[in-house]
Amino acid sequence: MKERSPLRPGELVFAILLAAFSALALWQAYRISGFTGLSTPGIFPMLASATMLIASAFILADALSRRRIESGAQTPVLTPRLVVFVAMVAAYVFAMPWVGFMLSSAVFLFAGFTVLWRRSLLVSLALTAGTLAVIWIVFRLVFQVVLPRGTLLQGFL
Amino acid sequence: MEHMLANIALSWFDPSLLMLTALGTLAGIYVGAIPGLSVTMATSILISFTFRWEVNDALALIAGVFVGGVYGGSRTAILLNIPGAPSAIATAIDGYPMARKGEAGEAIGLTTVMSVFGGLVGILALALFAPLIAGFAIQFNSRDYLLLGLIGILLVGSLSGESFAKGAFAGALGVLIGMVGLDPMTAEGRFTFGSIQLMGGIPYIVAMIGFFGVAEAFVQLHNLDRPVIRQKITRIIPRWSDLKRYFALVLRCSGIGTIIGALPGTGGDIAALLAYDHAKRSTPDPEVPFGEGAKEGLVAPEVANNAAVGGAYVPMLTLGIPGDAVTAVIIGALFIHGLKPGPLLLVETPHLFWFIVGNLVLANLFLLIFGLTGIRIFTKIVECPKAILIPLIIVFSAVGTYAIQNNPTHILWMLGFGVIGYFMKTYGFQVGPVILGVILGPMLDENFRRAMLRARGDVGKFLWDFVSHPISLVLTIAFVMLLLSQTPLWKRWRLR
Repeated sequence: MKERSPLRPGELVFAILLAAFSALALWQAYRISGFTGLSTPGIFPMLASATMLIASAFILADALSRRRIESGAQTPVLTPRLVVFVAMVAAYVFAMPWVGFMLSSAVFLFAGFTVLWRRSLLVSLALTAGTLAVIWIVFRLVFQVVLPRGTLLQGFL
Repeated sequence: MEHMLANIALSWFDPSLLMLTALGTLAGIYVGAIPGLSVTMATSILISFTFRWEVNDALALIAGVFVGGVYGGSRTAILLNIPGAPSAIATAIDGYPMARKGEAGEAIGLTTVMSVFGGLVGILALALFAPLIAGFAIQFNSRDYLLLGLIGILLVGSLSGESFAKGAFAGALGVLIGMVGLDPMTAEGRFTFGSIQLMGGIPYIVAMIGFFGVAEAFVQLHNLDRPVIRQKITRIIPRWSDLKRYFALVLRCSGIGTIIGALPGTGGDIAALLAYDHAKRSTPDPEVPFGEGAKEGLVAPEVANNAAVGGAYVPMLTLGIPGDAVTAVIIGALFIHGLKPGPLLLVETPHLFWFIVGNLVLANLFLLIFGLTGIRIFTKIVECPKAILIPLIIVFSAVGTYAIQNNPTHILWMLGFGVIGYFMKTYGFQVGPVILGVILGPMLDENFRRAMLRARGDVGKFLWDFVSHPISLVLTIAFVMLLLSQTPLWKRWRLR
């Protein structure tokens, strides 16, 4: 018989969050049209969220029954590098509507290469410029995709 | 007959048509490979500047982009686990593990040859059986689409990974994401919380880019210090033994792709998922397990999504009904050029029909050439240091997400899905079922309710309809058989 894998750090919390989210989704789905008919707009959302709730109950029960792993025995789920990078991505996507695509992408790419690659700043700068040039040509010029301009720096692209 | 052959071969010997088809196919491969740049978008843009051209020139360029684009999505799916298009989602499941073993060259070579084969079968079906297939496809009604959707959703069982509960959760989450927005039948808000941004719904490409692209970038942060896997490019042309071994599967998946492609409203994405599921069920003993680099899992979806191209042209040319989003745009192009796709097209302008058939064949031949020649350059992507690749993936994901509807909120959704996808991947969930749910959820919802309305809310009549119509009966039997085959009882009986 296949041996069950030990519980990973944070897995139990994640399972609890999934169950809570599913319950909330079911409540919201019920509020769409309740049990008023089988062809109402709420029927499939209720079905989906009920499936999520049942599945999350099984996931939670499974997480509760598995043994915990000793700390340090496995790669942590949230490493400092991951947290910093996700924060950088969050700053990038939140800044984009304000400062525009080109400026926010330039800063993000340069910072990303510098933090993750840790090589010459000049190479990071050249890579950033090259990437933005390719994106500009492919998306803006060839496919005429309007890239976010930014409300603070109107017209800067 | 002579006239027909002359029209089929028209684009093969005309230098400008030859060049336009080649250009379209090459551009299509790159469009398809970039998540967020869709074939529909590229076709729409082409129409905006080809409407003054000769009709054959415009159609040659568009056909090239269509054929190349459907195939191109497989490139990033294999190399980066980021499908370039929804039709390549299933390709990533076994293609990416092959790239991780240094077999990206072989995977792309096999994909290319099989895609071309599937494409040619689809075109053959278009040429020989167009009126027949169109007549069959038009008989599908809401309950048949519901059954197709249900057969598709059974794929959750195949894609669940370590736990069925996790797969079921992921699939249902996808259905829920697909429900967000105004209900298409009553315009009632579902999970919109009064937000205008949510009323338009969440495009499934946003979910795909978030769950696959961004989440994968976050996962790869843990592997920054691992040495880069060098790709073996010793074998690009697939082995003859492989071609022989998968021939029967390829034929079956070509059939699935052609039929699904011909059904109005369904396209290469659903065809690929159904074909993957079929491959998994019909191959009990693969050389490499599914999900770990099974070639059957790579071949089936790629054959089906390219066969769906020929299939999608069937209802478009014979009935004037688009088979998928791209053919909906092509119908517009035909109207712009003064043509009337529909039952009279074959009678009034048969030369155009045969020209399209010949041109699609040509596009597939160019696909074979371009697909097999650019592999070395493409595989360099995987050998690029992850520290460079990860920020690039994020920026391309952001611009691709924004390009869908020019909506900055979608980029926030993309990040949210990326973070959720990271935790799901970390804790043993597969993200494939989420996208399966997003794609099939709205189809299931709409067709279930239409079928229920047809039965006037009478559950007895609703159920009776599933067994009292020939197509529905066949699909019901297929669904029940597939459902039974997933039960432990069946598995125990098979092992006996």
